Amino acid sequence: MALLTVEHLQVDFRLRQQTLTALYDISFTLSPGERLAIVGESGAGKSLLGYAIVNLLRQPGYISAGAIHFHEQNLTKLGSRQWQQIRGKKIAMIFQDPMVTLNPVLTVGEQMVEAIRAHQKISAQAAKQLAIHKLSQVKISAAEQRFEQYPHELSGGMRQRVVIAIAMLLNPEILIADEPTTALDVTIQAQILHLLKQLCEEQGVALILITHDFGVVSRIAERTLVMYAGRIVERGPTLEIINDPQHPYTQGLLNALPQMALAGQRLNQIPGHMPSLGEHPSGCAFHPRCPYATEKCRWQRPRPIYSGISTVACFAIEELLAETNLEEGDDNHD
Amino acid sequence: MTKPLIALQQIEKSFRGKRRGHWFNWLKPSPGQDIHALNGVTLTVHSGETLCLVGETGCGKSTLARVLMGLVEPSAGEVHYRGKRIDQLSEQERMPYRRQMQMVFQNPYASLNPRMTVYQILAEAIKLHHPSYGRQQVQDSINELLTSVGLPLDIQDRLPGEFSGGQRQRIAIARALSVEPEFIVADEPLAALDVSVQAQVLNLLMDKQQERGLTYLFITHDLAVVEHIASRVVVMYLGRICEIASRESLFSQPQHPYTQALLASIPRLDSLDNAPLQLEGEVPPPTSKPSGCSFCQRCPLVNQRCYEEVPRLLPQRNGSMVACHAVEEGRAWK
Repeated sequence: MALLTVEHLQVDFRLRQQTLTALYDISFTLSPGERLAIVGESGAGKSLLGYAIVNLLRQPGYISAGAIHFHEQNLTKLGSRQWQQIRGKKIAMIFQDPMVTLNPVLTVGEQMVEAIRAHQKISAQAAKQLAIHKLSQVKISAAEQRFEQYPHELSGGMRQRVVIAIAMLLNPEILIADEPTTALDVTIQAQILHLLKQLCEEQGVALILITHDFGVVSRIAERTLVMYAGRIVERGPTLEIINDPQHPYTQGLLNALPQMALAGQRLNQIPGHMPSLGEHPSGCAFHPRCPYATEKCRWQRPRPIYSGISTVACFAIEELLAETNLEEGDDNHD
Repeated sequence: MTKPLIALQQIEKSFRGKRRGHWFNWLKPSPGQDIHALNGVTLTVHSGETLCLVGETGCGKSTLARVLMGLVEPSAGEVHYRGKRIDQLSEQERMPYRRQMQMVFQNPYASLNPRMTVYQILAEAIKLHHPSYGRQQVQDSINELLTSVGLPLDIQDRLPGEFSGGQRQRIAIARALSVEPEFIVADEPLAALDVSVQAQVLNLLMDKQQERGLTYLFITHDLAVVEHIASRVVVMYLGRICEIASRESLFSQPQHPYTQALLASIPRLDSLDNAPLQLEGEVPPPTSKPSGCSFCQRCPLVNQRCYEEVPRLLPQRNGSMVACHAVEEGRAWK
């Protein structure tokens, strides 16, 4: 039974003169305890999807179609009262920059106790105990001391640990992490990723990791969605996608990594850039940059099909599959 | 060995510390603590090479670049350019060297004047360094520059705000190339860009190096990029150099424990089982630097000597230079 089911989700921005669509027809499921990565470049809509799930879309953005089911509830239909029972409690979110997430004028302890007591009837003393316990769970040394400190007194990695501790305070079922390590140094990034993975495994929390870095994805996620211009272009098991990417965009992204070219040689760049909102091309959104694009890609939209490795929305793959099927059919006749 | 293009000798840089906190702290007699950004850095750059400078936040890599460019004055030490000392020159005397040495900055959103058109940005540099150029000559050089960085010619009247990050970085590179320098310092030129655009900009930088025989000092924290473009690599930690090595020996036989940990922390595509060598703790703030080896607080091979004595940069059998007591004493991992 899936924990979270997103069905045909569409997010629009209603502007004065026009309505622009930012996310089209997004569907996926998340099982309890599963670690899912959403990968894409800036402008792909990956963060927006995270915000849409926890109903943090800002005006003029809104969910214009589709449904998000969480435990039999349709999250798109909830009022703000009902959301208080879910956001932060059942579904928690971690953002990229911990200094923006944390309140600079409250101590770490004050913010944690506030969060606990907003959701539970619990004495201040018990809340403090719980907060310190959570701080030590995220491997913060001298947790009692940290409890009294202000965010600016902590280093970047330590702040992100505090943010994770706050997100885990009420034992959420889903943790959405939006680029949690982008602002950190590599050695700290390795620590934080390890911590996230360990916490999710130990406490059975499902994780949605939003990132642009395939290296991060391969460390942590079991399944991956690749997004381009507001659509999911490929989905499947992380290892399979990294070893044998099917969609030309995924291939391009992976091939553009410096470790994919011989040292000193030119990198395999994808020409052009991600279209901005309102400039999404017709047909397959990737066709202006795609090496396999045909006339069909220009006008028609490919539908996701299973390629044997991952689920891909691409006509080139579709044709390739049709050919191999034909050949197999011929073999059968023989 | 050929004569070095640039030689840095025992560069020290300390910044006067500010008195922090409440305004009445200003009344206290104790002055703010000085921050030592660089402690005795000695380094040479050879003509035609790509020297990569890696290290985490706060290790002094950007300060080193600024000292080299003459943007900040070193507190002690000497900077030599083709055998001539340049760190004490007046602005006027410095001009010919400014023409030889150019810089590309990290954030193309901040390094281009938002009120100047592309034409003005490029023409300013060209006119300053070629005062004899007439209007047509300036226009010709601008056309040539734009073509060489892969931008269309009809963008000259547009403002930086109209371009994407990758295009802005191309403009910044065109500006650096406009005075025909022989040496370019690139301070994290890819950090603000998306993966597919990173590949485009990196390719552009490598192409220009081949065409014009440029020498690069490339500052980055992304070791995958380093592995791709470096001829030699300098690893820094807290204002000191840990290791200088050719790319081959750094990636095949890293010697300094910090280099080893840094290499182990890169999120690689094939690292699904996540058990890298993890460093404990974080980089200490520059105000509380340890007295011995700067890495002693996080080093797994630390002993008493490391706390007391600063290790010297010593040549190793494979040609690299390493500053580590453990390596010197043969206690290090092989």
